Amino acid sequence: MSSIATLLGNVRITRVPVKFTGTRAELFWRLVRGYLLMIPTLGLYRFWVTTMKRQFYWHNTSIDGDALEYSGTPLQLLIGFLFALAIFLPLYFVFFYLSTQVGPVVLVGYAVVAALFWFLFGYASYRGRDFRLSRTLWRGIRFDQQGNAWAYATRQFLWSMLVLATLGLAYPFMSADLWRYRYTNTWYGDRQFGFTGTWRTIAGPFYRAYATFAVLVGALLGVGLLTGGAAMAAAPFLAVVLGFGGFFYYRARESSRMFSEVQLGTARLRVEIKARALAAQFAAYSGMLTVAFIIIGLVGYLVTLLVQGQFDFTSLAGIARAGWIGVGLALGGYLASLAALSLMAEVYLDCGYWMLVARGATIVGIESLSTVRAGSEDKSLAGEGLADALNVGSF
Amino acid sequence: MEMEPTGRYYDGLVAARRYVTLALTRDAGSAELIIADRDTREELDRWPVDSVFELAGLGDDLRLGAADRPYGARLTLPTGEWSTALREAIPGLGRRSRLERGQQRRVLAGAVAALVSVIAAYVFGVPVLADSATNLVPPAWEIRLGEGARLQIEAMLGNGRRFEACGSEFSQANRAIDRFAAEVMAGTASPFTPRVTIVRSPLTNAFALPGGQVYYFSGLLERTETADEFAGVLAHELGHVVHRHGMEMLIESSATGLLVGFVLGDMTNLSVAAAAGATLIDSRFSREAEHEADAFAGAAGNRLGFSPQALADLLGLVAEDTTMTRSLALLSTHPLTDERRAALEALEVAPAITRPAFSDIEWQSIKSMC
Repeated sequence: MSSIATLLGNVRITRVPVKFTGTRAELFWRLVRGYLLMIPTLGLYRFWVTTMKRQFYWHNTSIDGDALEYSGTPLQLLIGFLFALAIFLPLYFVFFYLSTQVGPVVLVGYAVVAALFWFLFGYASYRGRDFRLSRTLWRGIRFDQQGNAWAYATRQFLWSMLVLATLGLAYPFMSADLWRYRYTNTWYGDRQFGFTGTWRTIAGPFYRAYATFAVLVGALLGVGLLTGGAAMAAAPFLAVVLGFGGFFYYRARESSRMFSEVQLGTARLRVEIKARALAAQFAAYSGMLTVAFIIIGLVGYLVTLLVQGQFDFTSLAGIARAGWIGVGLALGGYLASLAALSLMAEVYLDCGYWMLVARGATIVGIESLSTVRAGSEDKSLAGEGLADALNVGSF
Repeated sequence: MEMEPTGRYYDGLVAARRYVTLALTRDAGSAELIIADRDTREELDRWPVDSVFELAGLGDDLRLGAADRPYGARLTLPTGEWSTALREAIPGLGRRSRLERGQQRRVLAGAVAALVSVIAAYVFGVPVLADSATNLVPPAWEIRLGEGARLQIEAMLGNGRRFEACGSEFSQANRAIDRFAAEVMAGTASPFTPRVTIVRSPLTNAFALPGGQVYYFSGLLERTETADEFAGVLAHELGHVVHRHGMEMLIESSATGLLVGFVLGDMTNLSVAAAAGATLIDSRFSREAEHEADAFAGAAGNRLGFSPQALADLLGLVAEDTTMTRSLALLSTHPLTDERRAALEALEVAPAITRPAFSDIEWQSIKSMC
């Protein structure tokens, strides 16, 4: 146990780092295997891939020497997906009806459906979090999430309307409120989590990033108008550098500060993430994605050379004329591109972020957790429900 | 190597880790796994061997639970001599995870079989279903839909200015086209009144909208050399109108979206992946629609006395284009496969009737209308 003990008055404070022992390579090969198995199973293996991924993250993350355990199964996810379908089918008929209509009714209809989706998105993400927490164990004790997913969805929906109306200025208030709702409803055994952050926690970084962005857009517009577009050549470059820079700066600060406001009884979480580490990860992601696409392009080119002869793959018509070979190649290219995109995002962005949070995290006062007792038996959740069908981005 | 098996023990009641030593005993009739504190030697629990199971997962550590203990009760042993020995001493250890894996495989196989039958039903059933579902859609609904599409397309073609079709409504060319369209549609019991519009545009394309609207671009008209070619393309597009292919496509693509969403797990179909996948599948159905429209044009040619093979000639001609506009041209929506060409050429022309689709004067006025 590598805890650093410091003496502060009479209170002995221990800081225990969180450890992460997984490697990108290990995740990569597991994912490759999972993706390949998704082909003969027509995509259904994705529930097994999700479960495997969580086992990888959970079991490789250890707190004070003990790893997290993920006890969810793929079948639970599959069942949850089937439940979610029941909600989506009626929505499909609404979509179909709208697509055959003309005029203002379509706009109003699509707006209502979009709002409904956004609302369901909040519901789904809360239910998904509940599913994951209630299947997470540490030292033999389960986590849990209480609160009401509909209440959370309503909260998120109303806040986001306010954020929209204030051109984003209300965002720190929304963020703090939602973090508080999530964490005050999170339990480890019989002990309740707490969240001490307020809008002020992220106000500084947020409004700085916001102001930078506003000044940048204003300056670009101003210069563009004055010079009649002549000086606009450098604009995209400037926008990318400042835009991404602001984003990484903000994301690193928000993650660090918000996670550092999380507490469990007297134990506190501390997280420190560097913006440049996030930027480096994004650079690695972009680089590897480029490499992957170059490889796919080369392989595609070679295969085309081999079977080419009478076929012409430069147009849809040519592909159609090539018959099954053409369809096979198009499908293969499509699946390979899809797999490359998602593999690189998983390995460099998602895994990278988890690694940064885990390795940047320490826990103060962890010994207080040794008295936590198991909570009451949780209501069984059938899968993540909508989260399986709504493509809610999360681990 | 330690002298006795040691591991970590969590009782599932309190969040405390204890280092323990393990021993197997058989004195109570059935074998038990005795868990004792490593330092104090105090016995913490006895797990009946029958109820002990191994937890599947990642890593090489042996992780055990017990069926009649709290949910989170765990015993973990690092990989090594002792974990191997324990596995040998308790052969039933992996039974539970084996059973679970077996069950998972069966469910996965069942789900895949179900999905395969859904896809098969979709591939073979949806064209038929979409056909009968289309007949349930009131024509007035389809006309309204076509009207909306017309406004959008004309706004796009007008490019910011007011949209203008070639030739006035009562010009000789347009009257001849209207007459021809009415002749083609006669006797089809189609609820739609055809309306053909010739549009000034460099694209070599022609298409039909739901509800009876047909567009023919001047780019294609320039390449059209004979009245029969023109008649063939128009009859083909009117075939789409009569068969209500626009409506059918709408129904089919909705079904495709549902299916692709199911396979990719993104029911919103908002991702590029889902959209691309759906397009790939939909193109299959559009080929079938082209066959139907070709057959319709062939039948119309037989009835009215023009050669439907001219349609194939024109498609072949446009197929040889190597311009940039090609991907947007006729072929992208009307791919000319060898098979399709053969089917077109096999259409017989009734020899008795040789009346041309348009008189020379009419055809000249059409050629020069843009």
